[in-house]
Amino acid sequence: MIVGLPKGLYYYKYHKFIEKFLDNLHISYLTSPNTNKNILNEGIRTCVDEACLPIKIFHGHVSYLRDKCDLILTPRIMKASDGEYICPKFCGLPEMIINSIPELTTITSSPLYLNDKKKIYKWCEKVGKLAGKTPSLIKESFEDALKYHANEKQGLDDEKGFSLKIALLGHLYTVYDNHLNMDVINKLHALDAGVITEECVKMIHIKSAIENLVKKPFWSNMIGTLGSGVHLAQNNLVDGIVFLSSFQCGIDSVSIDIMKDMIEDFPMLVLKLDEHSGQAGMDTRLEAFIDMLKRRKLIDLDISTHG
Amino acid sequence: MILTFPHMGNLYLAGKILLDALKIEYIIPPLSNKKSLEIGSSISPEEMCLPFKIMMGNYIQSIQQGADTILLVSSCGPCRFGEYSELQMRLLKKAGYSVKFILADLPDQLKSNDHICGLDALFNETSLSKPQITKAVLRGIRAMNIIDHLESKAHLYAGYEINRGESKKLLKNALSTAYSIDDPHGALAILNEYKTKMNHIQIDNNKSPLKIAIIGEIYTVIDSFSNLNIEEKLMDYGVSSSRKLTPSWWIKDSLLKLIKLNGIDVKRFSKDYLSYWVGGHGRECVAEAVMAHEEKYHGAIQIFPVGCMPEVVSKSILPSISRDKDFPIMSLVVDEMTGEAGYTTRIEAFLDLLERRNASCTI
Repeated sequence: MIVGLPKGLYYYKYHKFIEKFLDNLHISYLTSPNTNKNILNEGIRTCVDEACLPIKIFHGHVSYLRDKCDLILTPRIMKASDGEYICPKFCGLPEMIINSIPELTTITSSPLYLNDKKKIYKWCEKVGKLAGKTPSLIKESFEDALKYHANEKQGLDDEKGFSLKIALLGHLYTVYDNHLNMDVINKLHALDAGVITEECVKMIHIKSAIENLVKKPFWSNMIGTLGSGVHLAQNNLVDGIVFLSSFQCGIDSVSIDIMKDMIEDFPMLVLKLDEHSGQAGMDTRLEAFIDMLKRRKLIDLDISTHG
Repeated sequence: MILTFPHMGNLYLAGKILLDALKIEYIIPPLSNKKSLEIGSSISPEEMCLPFKIMMGNYIQSIQQGADTILLVSSCGPCRFGEYSELQMRLLKKAGYSVKFILADLPDQLKSNDHICGLDALFNETSLSKPQITKAVLRGIRAMNIIDHLESKAHLYAGYEINRGESKKLLKNALSTAYSIDDPHGALAILNEYKTKMNHIQIDNNKSPLKIAIIGEIYTVIDSFSNLNIEEKLMDYGVSSSRKLTPSWWIKDSLLKLIKLNGIDVKRFSKDYLSYWVGGHGRECVAEAVMAHEEKYHGAIQIFPVGCMPEVVSKSILPSISRDKDFPIMSLVVDEMTGEAGYTTRIEAFLDLLERRNASCTI
């Protein structure tokens, strides 16, 4: 049996775990290639128009895999941690795929609660059983993969060598998909700006940064981006924030505006990503933003020329 | 304290009856209109959903008339509605309005401060005793049930009535007469009176009008301004329509949710297509489409605001239902840019299609 791993959405966070798990079980797997134009176009063609770009790209990856493997992992992630949700589209992801992509092989549709180890195990057990593996082997592989995953360092933090430091925020599937975000990380590096992502901010800092919110936020993605952004900005640990947001992202429409309100006039650039984004416009905006940050540093006075 | 609350369909009438009984001073914002949407969109995030923008407009129009406290219901995700309170409070403050929020939410979700407080603040404001408050609340809920009943009957009878336009006129009269009365008992009596009148409308059971189910996102299906009066348009065409999502359904559902008994029929009808809750009313939408087919409706219209996360999921499922069951479903997406003419054309085209499907082939 060949298992297909679509390279989209939470793949970027959990691929090491699932790959290790499948390796341990001696199940062969096929990962779809990095997002490219064909995958993007296929995704746009199959997916419902109103969905956001990452969901469309995920559809493209599944379409790519549909005739190449026997089982495609399309996790229905219901919760990422206790008392928190993620985007509602994830809860209906298998249905969106089944109803949009014709002639599909088997896909996984059981719910996955990432806040509960037992439930993650149940999910992995189902995958293992489909390949005809014994429970003891599955248990062993699962524990090993979990340990391996826990030791893996996540996130990006360029320590030295750059004159500026930028907090690159956004959902991890927009930050790490280089086609979707038009290679923003390398572009920032080329402009002599180092990058730090939300995974490198400690959870206690994130929690304390959003303590003042009246309503407890219930999206894990929002807590991560908002908390780390506010923490980094208020403590002046970075020179500016670049926020990657996909067009029509419901979570970002809330978190961007709350963030703007909390960090006041700290420099922040919001890059909206959709299937029509042009490279040139993106480059210009990044360059302008970096130029602004450099001048700000040079003048060292946060007073505008207009008084 | 001068209270105000956002509009949602005809809910303002039930709110008025409740607040009159509680003897709390209040201001009802002008019925949602182009101006309120314009004001709302100007200070809301661009990609926020339509209900948020209309609500912001309602608040500001009320504040301009002197309101200083806003009453709002809240939820705990995963749909954006749960974050409305936080963002609206910040945006109003930024725009220079100092107001207090009274939020009906689960107690552990909120951190009270000067600007935000729980529902108990509302009841502290009245001079009534506890049993009187309970009575007033129950009366408000009863009024809401009657209004929902009047609406659903009027929408249903529009296709069957002998005197065209009678049910529509009756509904309008009921709302305006009840609104003009400040005494809660009197208003409720008027509503009851109109309920009897509505039940006695002359109908012709031999007629077989088109029957359409309105499904989709709860605010946009209930609020006639945001869906450009779709139900009234259908009534004018002599089409019977019905929708399951009403304010009284919402209250019932929320109460049943506390004991996890909600949505039994939703689960039953949606099990072939969507077997998990996706937040908002996405699963309800799918279930209602299947239900409408089983109840021999001719078609269904889904309405949702641009970017509504749960409805995007259901929109991707609806074509499959339509294909499997040979049941026409049309999706209409509304936002502040929706033009009335294009919208009407699509509804008319859809009705034409349904009519022709009904007629026998002439060749």
